[in-house]
Amino acid sequence: MRYSIRTAAAVAALSLGGAFAAPAQAATICFAFQDLETEFWVAGHLAITSTLTEAGHTVLERNANEDANRQFEQVNDCIAQGVDGVILIPQDGESATTIVANAQENDVPVAVFNRPPSDLSRGIVVVADNAVIAEQAVDHIVEKALAEAEEGATLNAVIVVGDLGDPNAVGRRAGFNSAIEKHADRFNVIEVASNWDAATALSNLEAAVTANPQIDLLFTSSDFLFPTIRSVLEPRGMWVPRGEEGHVWMAGLDGDATACSLIKEGYVDATGVQDLYFEAESALNAILKAVEEGNTDPNEVIEDPGFALTSDNLAEREMDMWGCVLLAEGFLDQ
Amino acid sequence: MSAGASFRERAVDLALRRATVIIFAVVLLYFGMQAPLFLGVENLGNIVKQSAFLGIAAIGITLVLLTGGIDLSVGSVMYLASLAAGFAMRDMGVGVAGGVLAALGAGALLGAINAFFIVRLGIVPFIVTLATLFAFRGFGAFLTSSRQFDFPPGLRSFGLASVMGIPVPVLVFATVAVVAHLALTRTTFGRQVYAVGNDATGAVKAGIPLGRVRAAVYVISGATAGLAGFILIAQIGRIDAGFGQGREFDVIAAAVLGGASLFGGVGTAFGAVIGATLMQTVNTGLAFSGMNLYLQPILQAGIIFLAVLVDSLRQSRQMLRRRRTIRPIQR
Repeated sequence: MRYSIRTAAAVAALSLGGAFAAPAQAATICFAFQDLETEFWVAGHLAITSTLTEAGHTVLERNANEDANRQFEQVNDCIAQGVDGVILIPQDGESATTIVANAQENDVPVAVFNRPPSDLSRGIVVVADNAVIAEQAVDHIVEKALAEAEEGATLNAVIVVGDLGDPNAVGRRAGFNSAIEKHADRFNVIEVASNWDAATALSNLEAAVTANPQIDLLFTSSDFLFPTIRSVLEPRGMWVPRGEEGHVWMAGLDGDATACSLIKEGYVDATGVQDLYFEAESALNAILKAVEEGNTDPNEVIEDPGFALTSDNLAEREMDMWGCVLLAEGFLDQ
Repeated sequence: MSAGASFRERAVDLALRRATVIIFAVVLLYFGMQAPLFLGVENLGNIVKQSAFLGIAAIGITLVLLTGGIDLSVGSVMYLASLAAGFAMRDMGVGVAGGVLAALGAGALLGAINAFFIVRLGIVPFIVTLATLFAFRGFGAFLTSSRQFDFPPGLRSFGLASVMGIPVPVLVFATVAVVAHLALTRTTFGRQVYAVGNDATGAVKAGIPLGRVRAAVYVISGATAGLAGFILIAQIGRIDAGFGQGREFDVIAAAVLGGASLFGGVGTAFGAVIGATLMQTVNTGLAFSGMNLYLQPILQAGIIFLAVLVDSLRQSRQMLRRRRTIRPIQR
């Protein structure tokens, strides 16, 4: 697995172009991340660190292990060590705002990767529009579910919600709701809390499915919960591939290797894809440009448009999804 | 003391002693009225299954609380011991039974580390287990680089299996509960645990090996936490870096809800079972009834607060009773 990720990271590094091949000056960058819990963060972390290192920059890595206060201290520590810039994957939107403001007050430019601060006006913010991407993925399964359903029938739609302190989770929930509201009279929505925790998702989803044994459509706010969803649906005969009786139309968001594999196998129908490599490249370009120009408080929002990989466009867009690239490299073969 | 006051007193005493059962009944009734399916066999079975991991760990920590100690490292032990079992299964090829033993062994070892610092070096349990909470999780994160870890597919088959219609996690939970109950009520060790918690100085004078008893409860707490983590992972098949994080508070709350006192000397294994099941019942009920997601943690916290309040009231009344008076207390 390690080899596969490194290979993928190398592919990513190459795809980030020659901008980093010969830096004008070697910089010291503090890369503070909240953890590496999911495939998305692992791949993002490797893409950023390997690209910076290979371009001759020094990277100080700081893992906050999901503790916002610890991350604040870690970034302060980096600043005290005289880093030229900070790339931040924050724990939540509020702590991100505080950390960005603090870094800029200390004349250190900061780029926030993927999880946006609640205040977008300060710092370089590279972010996917979670609401739009989620809506695209949910649109796909809504259309499929409605096409299959009897006319006028009300369908049960489940959303597994993330931690509502995380702006990504809030955006994904909003995207799901936007897609459902287009056919509000056809859906009964069931919200399941996960707090980004597999055990919580397992328990709450099992309760929701027991209360509502007929599930027609399911959206998980993160692909990393698919194994948990499988544990709930499989014993009930609801983990069935497309085209077979009892298939639950399912979508996720992230675009990881597990989701790619499940779409190919037919269990999952769509996933909202964040363009990991575009986001990594944008964050690196912007922070290195700021360092080179001596700009200590660059403020810019760079949006990742993203897209939905679906069972319908799988053949054409498969390799646009970072998870499918990792899958092809053998990421899931341990 | 008037006959009326005496009756009121007895009623309050009874309510405080049976507070968990009363809360449990109210919760079941409330959610049952919201959705009749809540009281169905399938849902009640799910509640017990989902409370298994919490209950197993709560039984272990009840022993620690009985001695007047505390173990804040439970969540991290769940993570690290399960991870050790995962490595044993994936890299050494041991089966599920070997995985269970590895989780138990690793948990016991981590508990022994806590015990060493608490008993041998005399450091306060709160400080030791707070430190190991971070140390054990940090070591797990070091081993995995914070990445998720996939267990061999056979584990999920075990976790989702049933024996005569009873899910495996429930069977393990029941076994742990019965063994712990027998150990606490029918063995010398059990009597020593209560004696240490009630009066440590008196226990030493009575010849009870204080250090050995206190060390044993931390080892047991570690082992049950390891087993609890493994039982939960067996249902998912994948462990991530956040696994077990913050669970120590759920586990302690479950034990206290089940009647264990934070001051030592009071508590039972079956009480922990009831406490864990009650907590899971509340969680399931909130999910079942489609309660607003923002309100769910507030209600969960309310139940935990109620438990601590009841424990505090019970303790106050006990203290009042033990106080020596020249004349009967006038009420």
